[in-house]
Amino acid sequence: MSRAGPREKKKKHNIQFCINDHPDILIEILQRLDDRSLSVAACVCRLWCSISRNDSLWESLCFSHVSPPPSNVRPVVLALGGYRRLYMVCLRPVLTRLSRPSLELDRVGGVWSRNEVQLSLSLFSVDYYERLGGRLGEASSLMFLCKPVNVS
Amino acid sequence: MAPYSSVISPQGCSSSSSSSCAGNKPSEIDGLLAGAGYKVRSQDLRQVAQRLERLETVMVNAPDEFSQLATEAVHYNPSDIASWVDSMLSEFHNQPEFSDPTNYINPVVVPPLQADTWSNENVQHCQLLHPQQQQQLTVVATIEEDSGIRLVHLLMGCAESVQRGDASFAGSLIEEMQSLLTRVNTVSGIGKVAGYFIDALSRRLFSPQNACAGSSVENEILYHHFYEACPYLKFAHFTANQAILEAFDGHDCVHVIDFNLMHGLQWPALIQALALRPGGPPFLRLTGIGPPSPDGRDSLREIGLKLAELAWSVNVRFAFRGVAASRLDDVKPWMLQVNPREAVAVNSIMQLHRLLGSDPTRGSPIDTVLSWIKSLNPKIVTVVEQESNHNQPLFVDRFTEALFYYSTMFDSLEACTLQPEKSVAEMYIQKEICNVVCCEGLSRVERHEPLVKWTERLNGAGFSSLHLGSNAFKQASMLLTLFSAEGYCVEEKDGCLTLGWHSRPLISASAWQTSALPDVGCLPLATIENTIL
Repeated sequence: MSRAGPREKKKKHNIQFCINDHPDILIEILQRLDDRSLSVAACVCRLWCSISRNDSLWESLCFSHVSPPPSNVRPVVLALGGYRRLYMVCLRPVLTRLSRPSLELDRVGGVWSRNEVQLSLSLFSVDYYERLGGRLGEASSLMFLCKPVNVS
Repeated sequence: MAPYSSVISPQGCSSSSSSSCAGNKPSEIDGLLAGAGYKVRSQDLRQVAQRLERLETVMVNAPDEFSQLATEAVHYNPSDIASWVDSMLSEFHNQPEFSDPTNYINPVVVPPLQADTWSNENVQHCQLLHPQQQQQLTVVATIEEDSGIRLVHLLMGCAESVQRGDASFAGSLIEEMQSLLTRVNTVSGIGKVAGYFIDALSRRLFSPQNACAGSSVENEILYHHFYEACPYLKFAHFTANQAILEAFDGHDCVHVIDFNLMHGLQWPALIQALALRPGGPPFLRLTGIGPPSPDGRDSLREIGLKLAELAWSVNVRFAFRGVAASRLDDVKPWMLQVNPREAVAVNSIMQLHRLLGSDPTRGSPIDTVLSWIKSLNPKIVTVVEQESNHNQPLFVDRFTEALFYYSTMFDSLEACTLQPEKSVAEMYIQKEICNVVCCEGLSRVERHEPLVKWTERLNGAGFSSLHLGSNAFKQASMLLTLFSAEGYCVEEKDGCLTLGWHSRPLISASAWQTSALPDVGCLPLATIENTIL
């Protein structure tokens, strides 16, 4: 009857907000993360994992540094394995190695040019080609880009 | 000393355009040590060696004097060994003469140093170490470097005696070298390269019929591992693709003829680039030439199917044709079915040099092939070749050149950490070495010639140079930075790109087009061949 007075009042003030109930907000937040944070986010729970692995999140990660952004690249990238794979296998190693200070490439303030995009896509196409047939065995020509520990 | 020092010239001077030349007169300065960074006159070599031995014994036996040396004395630049040794010796003006120089060759329990082929670190680091440690290391280092240089000298001597026809002397030299190999580190550096050359020489002497050609499957596997272990083939593919892409600009029907399809690793990148080009992809035809496969398996067709699958997934209209031929000059232009309306690109990655062997029954294979290439009226011909002269008439010249070239290549391979790719890549290189050293006549197919000679040859056959643009250069530079080794360098010379290791170019890429000279017989020939079909 009226015995649950104070407890009821408390409950009304402690409305829990759970982000998992609002996937649209979650997507908005995850969209703005960098690669490592996004990969870590994928380890939180199943919902976060499935959202983080969604290719469209990785699309903005891939080409946010590029000026001007490449057009009509999407069908090709999706056909060759998707943005997430493109990022993990090609773009990230290329980005990290090309940002060594000893290099004199014409990149202005961390923005990529068409050449870097083209190179990454070329390497990505070779990777796809090698995954096509089993005849080449385990050898992969992109192994020179891989580091032993990969966050994915 | 005299016979070889006039033959060898310091490699760094002659080849690349932007590397600095030391300005030494080749006849005075010992060429081998010059490659290592030391300037020693040939006639002084014996004296310098003896003084080094003396310095050695002095250091080993006078540790307290030496520590004073480490802190107070001033030492000159060790690249001028003669004066450096003298300055060191003069610090010990009170030392007794040691008549027995073999004192220092007591077996020392120290793991062998990772002696880089031409490293001068071993001798230079004297003053930085603890005296006792330092004694042991300099002993080992001196033995190592001494043996390495001795090995090279013996190899030269053996090559000369092979050229003279003196098989018995050559055989004895080989035995001596093999025993010397046991005292040298053969995991890397000069020991490893020398081992391969000694093996090749002994094959040449004792079992020349044991030809170096492997099966096509074996060759494909070796090639693939070489592709992965080092950047030479990747550089070749990406540079050629960039040139072909630019040449195909504006054409809707394009035809690429690949002289050596292998696994077709070059073409996914081109297909992808064509898919993304502004204006949409053209209709791409690829004709792949390769050796006939055993067991009735059609490996060319399998590769074609894979490429077709990739092209289909990125929406590029694609057609493949395989031409199986064991020799390029067996291929006739009608087999390629070139359509007069399409833009043709001919791609030759390390294939043209195989045609340089002359055969009385076949005429000149290279001229045959170059003339039918011209008759196809290609938009672009991309040529990638090894940057070395392994086709000289005298055996000793070829041998010397090969020794330098492959030492540099093995050096660059040291940086690769992928196993088993690295070991199999070494086998690939070993096959080439074997062919250059052991084989003669038609079976010697690795007849590499430098870019200047190819330029002459192609100009003479009616081709003019097409400059590779700055995009190709930038792409090549970027590709190299992805490899962890810091020694690779890309250079541009006369519109051609070369990739090298520490300013020694090892592979060159160039592009050609048919020159504008009116050649009346050219176009009609192409249409005639098409109508015959």
